[in-house]
Amino acid sequence: MSNQQPPNERLAALPGKTRKRLATTGSLVGGLLRRPGTLAVVLAVTALYLTAFLVVMQDFTFDPGVGFSSFVVDQPLDRMFEPGPGHYQYEPIAVLDVRIGTWVFSPLNTAIGLFLSVLVGLNIALTYLAVTQPKSCGIEAGTGILAAVPALFAGSACCGPVIFLVVGIQAGGVLLTAFQWLLPAATLLLLGSLVLVAGRVDPTAV
Amino acid sequence: MSQEPSRRRLLLLAGGGLAALAGCTGGGDGNGEGSANGADNGGDGASTDGDGTANSGDGEQSAEQVEGPMPLVEPEVPLQYELSTFAENAVSGGPPKDGIPSIDDPNFDSAAEGDEDLDPEDPVFGVEIDGDARAYRQDVLVHHEIVNDTVGGRNVAVSYCPLTGTVVGFERGDVEFGVSGMLVNNNLIMYDRATDSWWPQILGTAVTGELTGASLRELRVTWTTWERWRDEHPETQVLNTNTGYARNYGHDPYGSYNPRGGYYDNDRFLFDTLDEDDRLPPKDIVIGARSTDGAVAFEKELLREEGLLETTVGGVPYLAAYDPALDTAYIYRNPDEISVERTSEGYGSPDGTHGAGSLPLGSVNAFDGMWFAWVGFYSDLELVA
Repeated sequence: MSNQQPPNERLAALPGKTRKRLATTGSLVGGLLRRPGTLAVVLAVTALYLTAFLVVMQDFTFDPGVGFSSFVVDQPLDRMFEPGPGHYQYEPIAVLDVRIGTWVFSPLNTAIGLFLSVLVGLNIALTYLAVTQPKSCGIEAGTGILAAVPALFAGSACCGPVIFLVVGIQAGGVLLTAFQWLLPAATLLLLGSLVLVAGRVDPTAV
Repeated sequence: MSQEPSRRRLLLLAGGGLAALAGCTGGGDGNGEGSANGADNGGDGASTDGDGTANSGDGEQSAEQVEGPMPLVEPEVPLQYELSTFAENAVSGGPPKDGIPSIDDPNFDSAAEGDEDLDPEDPVFGVEIDGDARAYRQDVLVHHEIVNDTVGGRNVAVSYCPLTGTVVGFERGDVEFGVSGMLVNNNLIMYDRATDSWWPQILGTAVTGELTGASLRELRVTWTTWERWRDEHPETQVLNTNTGYARNYGHDPYGSYNPRGGYYDNDRFLFDTLDEDDRLPPKDIVIGARSTDGAVAFEKELLREEGLLETTVGGVPYLAAYDPALDTAYIYRNPDEISVERTSEGYGSPDGTHGAGSLPLGSVNAFDGMWFAWVGFYSDLELVA
């Protein structure tokens, strides 16, 4: 299309308040990653959430008796883009027994999980900062965590959504339709939450 | 969604058993209801041999054959629903088409190698055709649901639906089957890679696509344990985990059969069913069969206790004979009411003693399944429990 704009021009076209909020968010995120204390929080939360994500997606199964071994499929670069058992799930290319459990490794599932996990980590670090600042107000602790929950519902195993198996609910048409939007909804919620919380933090604090 | 059956199909009248069948085909007409196959191998001298042999040998089926890309027959079983109802009630289970990949190039281990990987009580699905015995591991099939294989020189598809606990074998000709990602009555809907028609596994009849209304020819698949199958078939091969896919085959996402737990052992479903019936707990295991006379199910636990059970289906006497060696049963149509008794050696009839799978009666393909699944497709089935 002829009216496509470079990213910096598109940013400039946004209303002033929005542009300012996004710039503040970017600046705060940069600050979080530069400070050792908040970076540690981001990394720890990212690791924990990614583990939870992979477990719920059933890509990782804890099993202390598995030892160490690995298996990689033929033509992994082709296989990794094939659709997997659920929405936004992709084919694994390796099975890795890593002493504490078995990781059925899908590069794209892991990348999606990592992206969400970093968002969750940033949200929690920022929320922590906001609630511990004297100047902050109106921030409910756990905002970022709540936004992260829907993504954990998004996994499918074989014939159906994992969460339906776990909690024993019966899937109707509405639920099934809603189900396919969980992952994008979680991503939007996490991004929105990040921007929201960024507005409540004193930019000079990081 | 539903399409009319292709008019280009050519009906070929098959041999043995047709006369007997003719008297039964009226069971499904006159009320606007559909019908589906029964894989009834018809007349006397059933080919089922008591140890899992396929029972749909060429020339032995009583159903009218249908021309198509794979071996097909005219549907026989009276249904309570139009075929289009099954298509309209199909739901996405989550995975896209082929999101659960079928195994199209299966690899096998020897029985000795199988002993190293399997516990004696692990469930396997056994097929034996012309002396070629194969055991398909449940822990592998739960991740793939369909194996396109060649057994005894015959191209077959062995399909397994974890949610309904059903395993059914079909002749596939040169066509492969895949997992559509859709379910009806919680049951796997297969698709064929020639016409993309949809085939609910338990129905075995296409409900959408070019082949709508045609039924697949079935073959006997025995749900048993590795130890039992191996003892009966020492030369068996066993499907191994070299499937070409990366899966955690030690982990069943639904639960466990050894010991039984999780989804397989509770009363919860994942999706709606077309019908419910509280004559049995929903996941009680029954061995069922369907034919021109209707559908029948025998509670497996009762079969273990009694050995021989009898009933009538559509006014025709039927019996089920339990085989303790494989913990399975065979279902027979017995219109002439031939006397059968259980003895210490097997099953006695006027012409001698036979194994459970080789009685001189017309065998009807039978397979294990959860009660809710059977009754979801065949709501007026005859239950012996």
